[in-house]
Amino acid sequence: MLRLLSTIRKELLILLRDRGGLAIMFLMPMAMITIMALIQDAPFKDYQEMKIPLLLVNNDTGSLGKSIEKGLIDSKIFELNKETIADDVVKQKVKAGDFEIGIIIPKNATTQLNQNVDLFVTKKLAAAGLGDSTVSETTTTEALNLSILFAPDTKKSFKISILNSLKQSTSKIETQTLLAFFSKELNKDSEQINKEEPLAEFVNFNEVTTIETPTEALQLNSVQHNVPAWTIFGIFFIVISMAGSIIKERDDGSFLRIRTMPGSFMTVLAGKITAYLFITIIQALLMLLVGMYLLPLLGLPHLIIGNSLLGIAIIIICTGLAATGFGVMVGTIFKTHQQSSTFGAVSVVILAALGGIWVPVYVMPESVRILSEFSPLYWSLSGFHKLFLNQGTAISILPYAGKLILFFAATLSISFFYNKKD
Amino acid sequence: MNSNAAIEVTNLIKIYKNAVSPAVNDISLTINKGAIYGLLGPNGAGKTTTISMLCGLIKPSSGSGFVQGFNLNNQLEEIKKSIGVVPQEIALYPTLTAFENLQYIGNMYGLKGADLKQKIAEHLKIVGLDNVSNKRIETFSGGMKRRINLIAGILHTPKILFLDEPTVGVDVQSRNMITEHLHLLNKQGMTIVYTSHLMEEAENLCSDIAIIDTGKIITQGKPKELIQQHNCTNLEQLFLQLTGKKLRD
Repeated sequence: MLRLLSTIRKELLILLRDRGGLAIMFLMPMAMITIMALIQDAPFKDYQEMKIPLLLVNNDTGSLGKSIEKGLIDSKIFELNKETIADDVVKQKVKAGDFEIGIIIPKNATTQLNQNVDLFVTKKLAAAGLGDSTVSETTTTEALNLSILFAPDTKKSFKISILNSLKQSTSKIETQTLLAFFSKELNKDSEQINKEEPLAEFVNFNEVTTIETPTEALQLNSVQHNVPAWTIFGIFFIVISMAGSIIKERDDGSFLRIRTMPGSFMTVLAGKITAYLFITIIQALLMLLVGMYLLPLLGLPHLIIGNSLLGIAIIIICTGLAATGFGVMVGTIFKTHQQSSTFGAVSVVILAALGGIWVPVYVMPESVRILSEFSPLYWSLSGFHKLFLNQGTAISILPYAGKLILFFAATLSISFFYNKKD
Repeated sequence: MNSNAAIEVTNLIKIYKNAVSPAVNDISLTINKGAIYGLLGPNGAGKTTTISMLCGLIKPSSGSGFVQGFNLNNQLEEIKKSIGVVPQEIALYPTLTAFENLQYIGNMYGLKGADLKQKIAEHLKIVGLDNVSNKRIETFSGGMKRRINLIAGILHTPKILFLDEPTVGVDVQSRNMITEHLHLLNKQGMTIVYTSHLMEEAENLCSDIAIIDTGKIITQGKPKELIQQHNCTNLEQLFLQLTGKKLRD
């Protein structure tokens, strides 16, 4: 025990006196969390929170214009700006990016729609031998054109979904009008089917929520993603420091001196791992506090850590162990500090990229998502997301914790056999 | 085993994996208790491999031996308890103070508390570093580091002390202090096994020497007797006569 405690004390003293190393271990992830959360705040909101700015010019005073306007408001996805301006000005504003979408409803649109529908119904009834036989099939109508404008940088998929949504909304109005005219022509009581009355919906889609409590209604925003993501990245960056420490001890003869001392070398290694694990725990706690208290001061959402402190402790410790095990392996296999720091940094960056630290895994191509399954940073991030976004319990993150522990065991085993080989 | 022997090895061989020739080739030697034994030889002669086997760091490919009465092949833990090692490198932590370094090493040998503090203070006083015990090693000169490096190997009062080039790169004063301290430790009963390229230092310090080359012991005995036997004027001349002038690296 004396050997273990003494090694922990020695390692902590060395780490605490290495100001450059401390800066890398604490300030770098703190800066990364803050910068990345700020940078990614808008893109995350684009997809999840932010309303789409829409400019509506409604030149119609009838029911069609009102129905479209109501539909846009009810959708709750648009930040509706209603103005009475010329078509060219609408075009300029949308082109300049002031608005993502512009919609122009022409003057007398309702009247034109009614005329078109009236003519269509009359033609159909005439063809069936009913109503006004003077209207021939060849009599044409002028189509009612609503103008929709998109900002130049709007994605095609987004355009299609908006157009489909609007088409759905207008076809409802068309059908409603059509039915009203048929009723009128067939001399039914116009009071019974009022054209202003909403149509009965035979099939409807209701969104059924999978969330049971209000706190579960948490979406992945830039803070919920970046705080755990860069905390994990910071924890794994300890690989460089740890591998460097092992190589330095090997180079300066300390390792040799330790090996000539009685007692198991595993005790010394355990002391080193414990000291670095302690640093990773402090690192993680500090980063979570940054997410909870510092980021809100910068106008970002505050980090919500879920309900399982035990789960958070487990995932932090397991992540720390995986990182220290990787550090021991890198320090054992590589001969020089330069080799280990280059490999350590590059490998952590690759594992981070695969693990969804920079961008969430679900936006990656399928082939990359398969590779992500093998990144310890992905296991750790999945554990954090389970706790922070899905209100997971300690038990729910055990599969991820288990993978991290296996990774730790594997890296130590590789180091052990590599040493034995030497 | 000879009861007066601190170290006794017979037909010791070490062949590294994929090596063309043995690093140590059939060495037999006896080092008596209380001796200062110089293991001398050019670079790549097999000195470090021999000492590494005697310290229990690497296993011999064949041969047998005893260190302080413990079997080299199966009593490594007991051997480690009775030896001290001073590596050629300054095996200290630069950002820790002299006291913190020695405290850590003492703890690793099971020493603790007031007893350890007293031992550290005594040794620091002997080598003239008691006034800088709370200064970081990184602020020390080469000679000061060497003296702390020496203390780190003897803090637990080993029966046998292995030193690899303990005075390399230090000034005359520091070297003098180190050799004086080694003499003092030897008088207190410590057996010292020492390697060096400084023949004059070895001639003055060692009671016995072995000259080793290409993994084999070429000659061994008392320095003065060996010098006389080979009609040489000093140890350096004897060394060159036996190992040749050809560069080794």
